[in-house]
Amino acid sequence: MADIPVFFLHGLAYASLLFLVSSGLTLVFGLMNVLNFAHAALYMLGAYFSFSIFKITGHFWLSLLLCPLILFIIGALVEKFLLRRVHRHGHLHELLLTFGLAYIITELIKFFWGNYPLSIQLEGFLTESVTFFSINYPVYRLFIIACALVVGLLMYLVIYKTRAGIIVRAAVNDSQMVDALGINVQLVFMCVFAVGAALSGFAGVIAGPLLTTYPGMASDILIDAFVVIVIGGFGSLGGAMLSSIIIGELQSFGVLLFPSLALVLVYLLMAIVLIVKPSGLFGEEQ
Amino acid sequence: MIQRNPINLCLSAVFLCLFAVVIPLWFGPYQVTLVTEIIIFALYAVSYNLLLGHAGLLSFGHAMFFGTGAYTTAIALKHIGGLPIYGAILLSVIATTIIGLVIGGLLLRHKGSYFALLTLAFNALFYAIASKWYSITGGDDGLSISRPDLNLVFTTLNMSDITTFYFFTLICVGSVILFCWYFTHTAMGETVLLLRENEERMKFIGYNTNITRLILFTFTGALAGFAGSFYALFFEFASVSVISIDMTTTVLLMTFIGGSGAFGGPILGAIIFIYLQDFLSDITDRWPLIMGLIFILMVLYVPKGTSGIISMLKKRLFEGKQKHGQIDTGEQQI
Repeated sequence: MADIPVFFLHGLAYASLLFLVSSGLTLVFGLMNVLNFAHAALYMLGAYFSFSIFKITGHFWLSLLLCPLILFIIGALVEKFLLRRVHRHGHLHELLLTFGLAYIITELIKFFWGNYPLSIQLEGFLTESVTFFSINYPVYRLFIIACALVVGLLMYLVIYKTRAGIIVRAAVNDSQMVDALGINVQLVFMCVFAVGAALSGFAGVIAGPLLTTYPGMASDILIDAFVVIVIGGFGSLGGAMLSSIIIGELQSFGVLLFPSLALVLVYLLMAIVLIVKPSGLFGEEQ
Repeated sequence: MIQRNPINLCLSAVFLCLFAVVIPLWFGPYQVTLVTEIIIFALYAVSYNLLLGHAGLLSFGHAMFFGTGAYTTAIALKHIGGLPIYGAILLSVIATTIIGLVIGGLLLRHKGSYFALLTLAFNALFYAIASKWYSITGGDDGLSISRPDLNLVFTTLNMSDITTFYFFTLICVGSVILFCWYFTHTAMGETVLLLRENEERMKFIGYNTNITRLILFTFTGALAGFAGSFYALFFEFASVSVISIDMTTTVLLMTFIGGSGAFGGPILGAIIFIYLQDFLSDITDRWPLIMGLIFILMVLYVPKGTSGIISMLKKRLFEGKQKHGQIDTGEQQI
């Protein structure tokens, strides 16, 4: 069992990707109370944009910079022209809208990029491996882990330590009051949704070289991200991080130890959490 | 709840029956196939709308019942020799009832977004099982079956004839749809409406809302399983597509196109959806995109669906009549 550290790192890399996806989902849910079913579709859109930018310019870093920006704009437009309109019809309609949006984005991707897998061949030091403690490990996976740590830290700092974070949290609690204090609440919500979309785009770019880019990648990660949120607790950033690691490691070691059961293990864990603590590990009681 | 005019209701029932009988006699087998599909999907959509429209529960996992129903029928017919057709259907209903009870027990403490998310996750579990458990479900290859003949006491009906199967479906599924309609008028059905409108109040009065919700969830699950069983019999095939998220999307589209506000909405939705799909798939391969756009436009601009438009038009047309004295019974919200 000399491979255990390697499998642990594999699990951690996947956990990092999961965290990048579910953190945006948690952000939007925690702050806007909107469960965005289109989140994974936006992530897939990020991956496809990244593929095209990489193909045209040949710079991975450029796509890492541009895709979140593009997704930010898309997210802002979606919030302004679609989500805001159905907000008054209530929760159900918001869910239905994002669900329909996910469906349309998937179909558009099939239309423009084709219904087959694409892969990105990176160049430079990201493709190499490093050796430490007698383990040879690809740099790219370590890079993913680093990205997740940075994003998690940044999100924590922005939400809890800055003025912008205070405004957003206040707007969630009492949007009318915040509005009366002279802050454009609509703009705040638009920004939150756009940041969530940008995060998903970022995750998509990161996922491109690790997994293949194909039209089913959204639904694959969406379910895992949902399980992360259920286990971690709704709207909790720390919970999302911890349960990402749990799910990542469970999948990684599950494949190693019980290959035929690996898929079911995650759901089993979810069912146990639902029975024992329905609100999730870090969730507040409803 | 819209109180219907009894004459109106009788007229539409007579019209529907005539329509259903005339179709196989007048048009060719292709139309019969389409209408059989419509009837099956109508029940599936009606069962979904009992959750969405009546109880206000948004589930993204209805396909797990539909798919389990289809798979149970296919597996039973494959492995149990000489199983009569109603035996297979009954097994499907039993299987989905059990699943509804178990999953419902796990999920129904949650509401709103959380419930929607969990149903989607559990649907994914069922999909994973169906695609990985190769020895039972046939994995991605699916299961091929053939419809057994229906053995009535005095005669045997040849089910491989599509017209015979159409009438079998019409009678069985049609009567279940009628039962659903009856259900919405029972005390239980009315309770479900109250659940949507004001759950706190219901708890206060002394109803156990969790039990009501569990019964409804299980009931709609069994109905979807019944529809799924007919789906497997109709296509003589069950594959992972019957249990995938696309099947949930389909029922959602039907319900929304037709309108979730009225009992007949999903039925109308199923008719529109199947014909539209038939029409669009001839023109373009990207018909799901058009369906998706229609769905989004519906959610944005016509949240009450086609049946909402129709009842609005009716109201406009008959507005003059109602002004002459009678009390407006058009839209009585409980």
